[in-house]
Amino acid sequence: MLANTRVIKEIPKRVATAKRQNLVLALFAIVLLTIPLGASPYPLTVMVDIGLYSIITMGLIMLMGLAGQISLGHAAFVGCGAYISGILTTKYDFDPWPALFLAALITGGIAAFIGRFMFKLHGLILAGVTLALNLVFYHLVSSLIDLTGGAMGMMSIPPLSLGPFTSQNLFFNYYLIWIIAILLLIFSLNLSDSRPGRALRALNVHAGGSEDAAQVVGVDVTKYKVWVFVLSAVYASLAGSAYAHYTRIIEPGTFMVQLSAMVALMAIIGGRSSPWGAFLGAGLIVGLRQLLRESIPVLVGGLSGSYELIAYGIILVVALLFMPQGLISIVRRAAPRKRAVLDES
Amino acid sequence: MKANLAGIRTVIMPRRRRERSTDDTRLLEVSNVSKSFGVLTVLKKVSFSVARGNILVMIGPNGAGKSTLLKIISGLLPLAEGEIWFKGQKINGMTPHQTAALGISQLFQDIQLFRNMTVVENVMVGCHLQAKTDFMSSGLRLARARVDEQSIFEAAMKQLSLVGLREKASSPPGSLSWGQQKLVGLARALATGSELLLLDEPYSGLLSDEVDKLNQLIFELQSQGMTILIVEHLTDILMGIASQVIVLDYGEKIAEGTPIEIQKNKRVIDAYLGGEQLEDEGS
Repeated sequence: MLANTRVIKEIPKRVATAKRQNLVLALFAIVLLTIPLGASPYPLTVMVDIGLYSIITMGLIMLMGLAGQISLGHAAFVGCGAYISGILTTKYDFDPWPALFLAALITGGIAAFIGRFMFKLHGLILAGVTLALNLVFYHLVSSLIDLTGGAMGMMSIPPLSLGPFTSQNLFFNYYLIWIIAILLLIFSLNLSDSRPGRALRALNVHAGGSEDAAQVVGVDVTKYKVWVFVLSAVYASLAGSAYAHYTRIIEPGTFMVQLSAMVALMAIIGGRSSPWGAFLGAGLIVGLRQLLRESIPVLVGGLSGSYELIAYGIILVVALLFMPQGLISIVRRAAPRKRAVLDES
Repeated sequence: MKANLAGIRTVIMPRRRRERSTDDTRLLEVSNVSKSFGVLTVLKKVSFSVARGNILVMIGPNGAGKSTLLKIISGLLPLAEGEIWFKGQKINGMTPHQTAALGISQLFQDIQLFRNMTVVENVMVGCHLQAKTDFMSSGLRLARARVDEQSIFEAAMKQLSLVGLREKASSPPGSLSWGQQKLVGLARALATGSELLLLDEPYSGLLSDEVDKLNQLIFELQSQGMTILIVEHLTDILMGIASQVIVLDYGEKIAEGTPIEIQKNKRVIDAYLGGEQLEDEGS
């Protein structure tokens, strides 16, 4: 029997899944990286938005979907990234690239510090605290006028550059954001299927995990919650920094609870079970937003702002009713090989 | 009930093992442990010790505080009073992952398999302590993460082979029978590489051939040096495998001894093996 165990190194199905995933990943990357060729600026701008939202949403999917935790205040971390990048480059003469990475590091540190206290809490109270964090961030940024420019925000943040290109160039920016998004996707997929990834899934009580069972096999549950919180904060920070260097103007209102709610919505609609869901969620919501912005003024007259929010609410309710696992579940159902695997077992 | 007790002697495995060892090395020592939930006292100054390589069986009617005691030992529940020592180290106040790292693992009565993972992944989580791969090296899939992943996988498959569920490796746990799920839970607990195994009613809900299989496994583990603490209310099966038996009743230890001694103990027969037994499900 022992000899037998040595021969079989991997479960064939597992290898098949991994191979298929690599193929899908390669196709996805190729399609995304060829889109800009021949595209006009408008769709590219929308795609950049989708890319930025996807990055934040992906972090949130790792936190909410993989580990079953919650954050209703993630805009604060996006804001941290944006503001730290902005402050470092405009006040302390940092180059944009080191600023981006340093911002991610500092934001991660802040998340680790907060997380240590926060994850002693559970459920609704935890959700409430994350929401409160977002409000604290907003008021902090608004009041530290010397550093952040207060409600006026910061201007003239230098763009990221690589050789002759800068992120003021739409094409460059498109590639920049989407390459970051794809790299983070690979990171997330790798992580999900690894020792720490399994530990995170084990403590996800909403998806069938058990904190008690995870603990008695040696998983330090609080530590893992904090780490995945840090991870999602770092993703948010990267998106925030990229956003700051791209728009070159930031103001506190951008990083309010609305943004937190929106990315949470994207994570839920896209599908919490896989980092791929981030693209579906962000794509759908941003796409709908563009559609509503164009159609609502025509249909009802006036500005679209409040109608947009109503529309998001309706989408969320419908989505939760009809596809609680998110869009990703529809994609999964459509993939015939996956079904075959399930039937076998 | 008399019939049950008579049957005990005929059950499984050589007598030699059953009566091996007494106080040579105390792996686990529980002294004066008390616990209450609000006004309800669940454990009253319970003391006992388990020698290395022994199988201690703790019996008592439902609600006697057995499961609570196991959860206190592993650190899942805080204790109000008393001390617990493991390998000469005081472990009360430790978190469950710390006691796990010291070498205590537990199989819950309701198993609590991770339903969002395959069978082999469940056992791979059990190997958590065998590796150190962190977020960064896993996300970047560095060479050392791949090596770790491979060895975790092989270790998990080995545990699955031990319980005879290799071919179920990529199934979801929900597709397995209750008995098979118990075995997966056992494999997951064993994967931690622990020295003390806490089994909470491992026999509940098992079919008779599954009971035999579990007994066989438990003996195999004992012969490899594992120390096992079993909590049960099915007395007849357990008397055959116990090196030592403790009887709890309403949170109090009312008897302790070898299986034979316990069978003859008047107080046990009155308090526990009397009317209560009829109410126990499935026994």
